[in-house]
Order: sequence, then structure tokens, then C-alpha cells
Amino acid sequence: MNDGDHEQFEAELRKLAPARPPAELMAKLAAARPHARPQPSSVPTGFGLRQSSGAFGLGRADGKRQRAGVVEDAAAPTRSAPLPVSQLATINYQLTWRLLLRWLAPTAAVAAAVAVLVWWPSRHDQRQNGNQGSAAAQPALKADNVEFDQKLVAAFDAVARLPSGQPVRFRCREWADAVVLHDSASGIVVEQRTPRLEVVPVSFETY
Amino acid sequence: MDESPQQADWRRWLEEHAPKFLLFARQQARSEADAQDLVQEAVMEASQRQNDDRPPPPALVFATVRRRAIDLARREDRRAGRELAAMAPASECWFDTSVEEHELSQLIQSAMSRLPDMYREVITLKVWGGLTFPAIGDTLGIPANTAASRYRYGLQELRRITKEVLA
Repeated sequence: MNDGDHEQFEAELRKLAPARPPAELMAKLAAARPHARPQPSSVPTGFGLRQSSGAFGLGRADGKRQRAGVVEDAAAPTRSAPLPVSQLATINYQLTWRLLLRWLAPTAAVAAAVAVLVWWPSRHDQRQNGNQGSAAAQPALKADNVEFDQKLVAAFDAVARLPSGQPVRFRCREWADAVVLHDSASGIVVEQRTPRLEVVPVSFETY
Repeated sequence: MDESPQQADWRRWLEEHAPKFLLFARQQARSEADAQDLVQEAVMEASQRQNDDRPPPPALVFATVRRRAIDLARREDRRAGRELAAMAPASECWFDTSVEEHELSQLIQSAMSRLPDMYREVITLKVWGGLTFPAIGDTLGIPANTAASRYRYGLQELRRITKEVLA
């Protein structure tokens, strides 16, 4: 198919005009003419009249053609009657909010989860920093008198045998060690006592 | 009652373009009722997108018809069996013809019905829709060069089919 044939065939096709739509459809389309958008008011702003931004307007108020409802086992296809304009506007409003909520609800949940994840660790860090800061703010204890004390609580001997059968004697002593810190400036006395067991093996031969 | 200038413009625009929209919609829809619904929905939706009173660009209406047809087909697939069983074969003539051209129009309509969708929609938009290849590409979501090549291949195929029928 060369270019000449191509153009000739195209010209033949163009001779055919698309069929005119039915009069009923043309009438409905003619009635669906877009309305003029509201013009801005000539009253200057600042005269006590609040002007709507139109952001939440319902758009066009003319009725939209309703699709014919398909009824199971219907004898003949019928078209439903168009809804009143006020009802269409209400449906349009409800659908708009439903669509908004459908997206807003999950988005808000995700945003809340992200906010908690970001806020909680930062708050935890702040709390830790605050504790460290308060500890650092406390003045250190300055002991001006330190006492060490060792008290002998008990002393006894114990005899045992090694696996080779040789007897061994243990000299055991229980001590109570004490450390006492005095901070006369702040009037604090810190006393710590620690029990200590001292075991010294003694050979019978040396005994 | 006299028409306002806007109403007269709107009526002229409809007289000029509504047949093209309906032709395209008939090829996208499964029934005449669906095609008319598609045209009405698309015209209204495209008009709402306009920021002024002027009629919407035809390419926008064509694109809306196609999108709505796809949506409709997805919805209808669930009950396609019952719908198709009840659906009468399309008897509407796609073209407005005189007695002499009646046979030609029937021939072209039959041949167009046998064309693959991707060729048929490009030919319709180009020959009877009056769109350019870039506009066809925007309408169908394909590159302009693809639209041009589909148009060429589609014309060849259409001519082959019509020759078969005439023979």
C-alpha cells in the first residue's frame, strides 16, 4: 500500500460522517452545559462580608445521568429516572467525604505511629540525660576522717585428709573488716562492714 | 426563549463533536446504552475540569470516554455472562450516510468491528475524531510515534479486510 493508496483510502473513510446521536441524548447533553463559575463579588473586602473560598463547594449542581440499573431476571432493560438535583448534591457531598475519610484515616494512623516512634526515644534520651545531670549536680562526698577496723570474730582449726591419705590441718579465722568514713562538713558518716574468712593450711610436719 | 451566547456555543460544540464521541464510545462499550452513558459521563466530567464556561477540548473527552469504558468493563466483567446473554447485538449504524453510501458504511463498520482494538481506536480518533497523533498519544497513553505506526498498520489491515469483503 503506497502513499497514494493510503491517502485515497483515508479520503474515502473521511467521507463517512459519524452518525448523529439520538435526540434524547443530545437533549441531555445540551442540558448538561457547564454553568458559569460564580464571579467574585464587587464589594471590596473588609466590609464585614466573609467570602467563601469555594474550596468546599459542591461543584456543579446539575444532575448527572444515572446508569440504567441492571435487575436480575428483568423482562426488559429500563432506565432509572434521574435523581433530583438536591439529592445528587447530597450524594456528591457524602461521596466526597467518604473518599476523604478513606484516605485520611489510614494516613492519620500512620502519622500517629511515626510520631510516637520518633517522640518516645527522644523522650527516653532526655530522661536519661536528666538523671545523669542530676547525679552530676550532686556534690561529691569529701571524707576528712577514715577509719579501718579489723575484728577477730572466731578462730578454730580443722583437719582434713588429702587424696593421698596425708592429714592436713587448716587454721581458720573469721574477721569482720570495717571502714568508716566521716564527712564532718556535711555531717555524714558512712560505715561498711565486710565479713572475711581466712583459711591457712598447716602441714602436720611443721606442726 | 432566546439562547444565551454560552448556550449557543455549547449547542454548536455538541453538534460538531457529540457524533465523534458517540462513535468512539460505541467502539469502547459493549452496548448502545453503555456507549450513550459513557458519552454523557465523559462530557460532564470533562466540562467540570474546565475552569471556565468554554466547552472542554475534544481530546479530553475522548480520553475520559476511554477511561470510563475501562472502569465499566472491569465492573461488568463480574456479571459479563448474564449481561452478554441478555444483550441484543448492536444494530446502530455508526455512520450517518445517504442511500448511496449506505453499503459503504455497512462495509466499513463491519471491517472496523473486525479490527484489533489498538488499530480501531487510533483510526477512529484520527479519521473521524480529527485528533493529531500527539493528541491521540495523550488520549490513549501511548507515544505519538506509536500512534502513527498503529494508524498506518491499521489502515492497511482495514483495507485488506474491506477487499476480502468486496471480493
